Amino acid sequence: MVLEVFILLTIMCGFFGVIFKENLIMKTISMDIMSTGVATYFVLVASRHGLFTPILTEKIVNYADPVPQAVILTAIVIGFSTLALILVTIMKLAKNNPTLETREIEKNNT
Amino acid sequence: MINLTIVWIAIPLLLGFIISLTPKLGKYLALFGSLISVIYSLQILFNNINLSFQLLDNFGVTFRVDSLSGYFILTNAIVTTAVIIYCWQQEKTAFFYGQIILLHTSLNSAFITTDFITLYVALEVIGMIAFTLIVYPRTDRSLWIGLRYLFISSIVMLFYLGGSILVYKANNSFYFEGLKNSPPEAFVLIFLGLLVKGGIFISGLWLPLTHAESESPVSALLSGIVVKASILPLIRCAEISEDIDFIIRLLGVGTAILGVFYALLEKDIKRMFAFSTISQLGFILASPSVGGFYALTHGLAKCTLFLTAGYLPTRNLSELKKNGINTSIWIPLSLASISMIGFPFFSSFEAKVLTIDNLLSWQVIPMNIVAIGTTIYFFQLILLPHKSEKDRKISFNLLLAVTLLIFMLLSTNIIYYEAYILINIIKALIIVLLGFLFYRFILRKIVINVPRILEEFDNIVGFLTLMCILLYGVLLMVNSPLL
Repeated sequence: MVLEVFILLTIMCGFFGVIFKENLIMKTISMDIMSTGVATYFVLVASRHGLFTPILTEKIVNYADPVPQAVILTAIVIGFSTLALILVTIMKLAKNNPTLETREIEKNNT
Repeated sequence: MINLTIVWIAIPLLLGFIISLTPKLGKYLALFGSLISVIYSLQILFNNINLSFQLLDNFGVTFRVDSLSGYFILTNAIVTTAVIIYCWQQEKTAFFYGQIILLHTSLNSAFITTDFITLYVALEVIGMIAFTLIVYPRTDRSLWIGLRYLFISSIVMLFYLGGSILVYKANNSFYFEGLKNSPPEAFVLIFLGLLVKGGIFISGLWLPLTHAESESPVSALLSGIVVKASILPLIRCAEISEDIDFIIRLLGVGTAILGVFYALLEKDIKRMFAFSTISQLGFILASPSVGGFYALTHGLAKCTLFLTAGYLPTRNLSELKKNGINTSIWIPLSLASISMIGFPFFSSFEAKVLTIDNLLSWQVIPMNIVAIGTTIYFFQLILLPHKSEKDRKISFNLLLAVTLLIFMLLSTNIIYYEAYILINIIKALIIVLLGFLFYRFILRKIVINVPRILEEFDNIVGFLTLMCILLYGVLLMVNSPLL
């Protein structure tokens, strides 16, 4: 329960960072914090029945659920490629908008 | 049929990569890929195939192919074909065609999947490819529009992911059916993701700017088919339980009203189309059980409108009304508009009748008002002054693409020809007449500028919290023991 609260706080931290930070880079970092929170929650759910690596051994142990782990691995890769795209776009935008403040960019481009 | 489905999903994926290797064949391969889908979807619709299967073991990917997904696949295939034909003579690189065919197949996989994780992967891929298509011109403006789109979609997909693990925790599987036994948080988070991606209700306010500022072929793809990638899962969720069905109908009515309200006051033609997309998505969700057919007719008509809008001299509606347009552009524009308002002879008429027949009693009055509203703002286009100009020739490719789309709009009349009875035709004509009168005597005289402050990036992200509260509220209302 305590761990879940911490995870929720991490996600909320990231989410409010996206809203309240002006700078695009800060927004991107906030989004990454959010995704860290979600990934941690997957790991927590996976470990609800046990912590051992799911490998067949002679001793019967309580092993972690491999399915959420596999899924979050996919999600992390997808998140990483999205992040790469976002950062490249920010680099391109930085040429004409060096401060990278969303309000300024929005005013110039819409 | 199972093997056929796998091959049909895999071939366009392969084509996408082959195009990068053989750039000169780009457009031919892309066209080939979309034509395969046309044949496949017609096969499903004509033979009424209903097929579910699972790949690999217990936790594998699940698919379901039935007539509902058949309609969406057909829409996807025809819209993609029309866009490729439209771009044929333009100097697009092979990269562009490669992205279009990859988008096509990832949309197809989103339409046939029935578990949350496969859907997640498909939606993320769709979001990324849509981003690369939006930023294709590489101008600062397009970069910002694309970045905004990618940012919002990846934030909501994180919420969605959180919701899907809650479903897994409750059911030990990611199937859509699991939503029934899951905690309310799972429902709220997953729906938040799907609603924002699909542009539903207030969370859909990112949509007008994105769809209006992109290039015409990309707008046509986005409005015609990309937003529908998360509409189909919503329809599938509505089949699970009556409570979810009720919530989706409620959101559908809200979206339709919101979209029509904005579209009536909009003075920019492409933004008007984008708001009309929002309102029509509301129509699809208002009676989810028959939404597939409506999605088909809307996708075809909206694609025609956006492709034609690319050849207009200006986007400002009042200037267009003053100066008039070329007749050869006016004809497809007004035909698509007539189709959008559900005039008999177009299959949109059947789709609208089918939708209105399947509404619940409390939905009938608001949805009919929305139908009249739709008629009002499309009359602006039908009544545009037009003259034929010999010197300005219309592009042959536009003509071909638009002919294909309108031919399909007419030929899909065979799907539900039972709609052609006297009472339905009279109803449709009354709606058209009322719309005309309202336009002639009221709308022409009022000029209201709607502020665009709600469409700012920060506000759109802020709306996510509002949407969360709203979804919780509706859920509490539905499950309340007092009711």
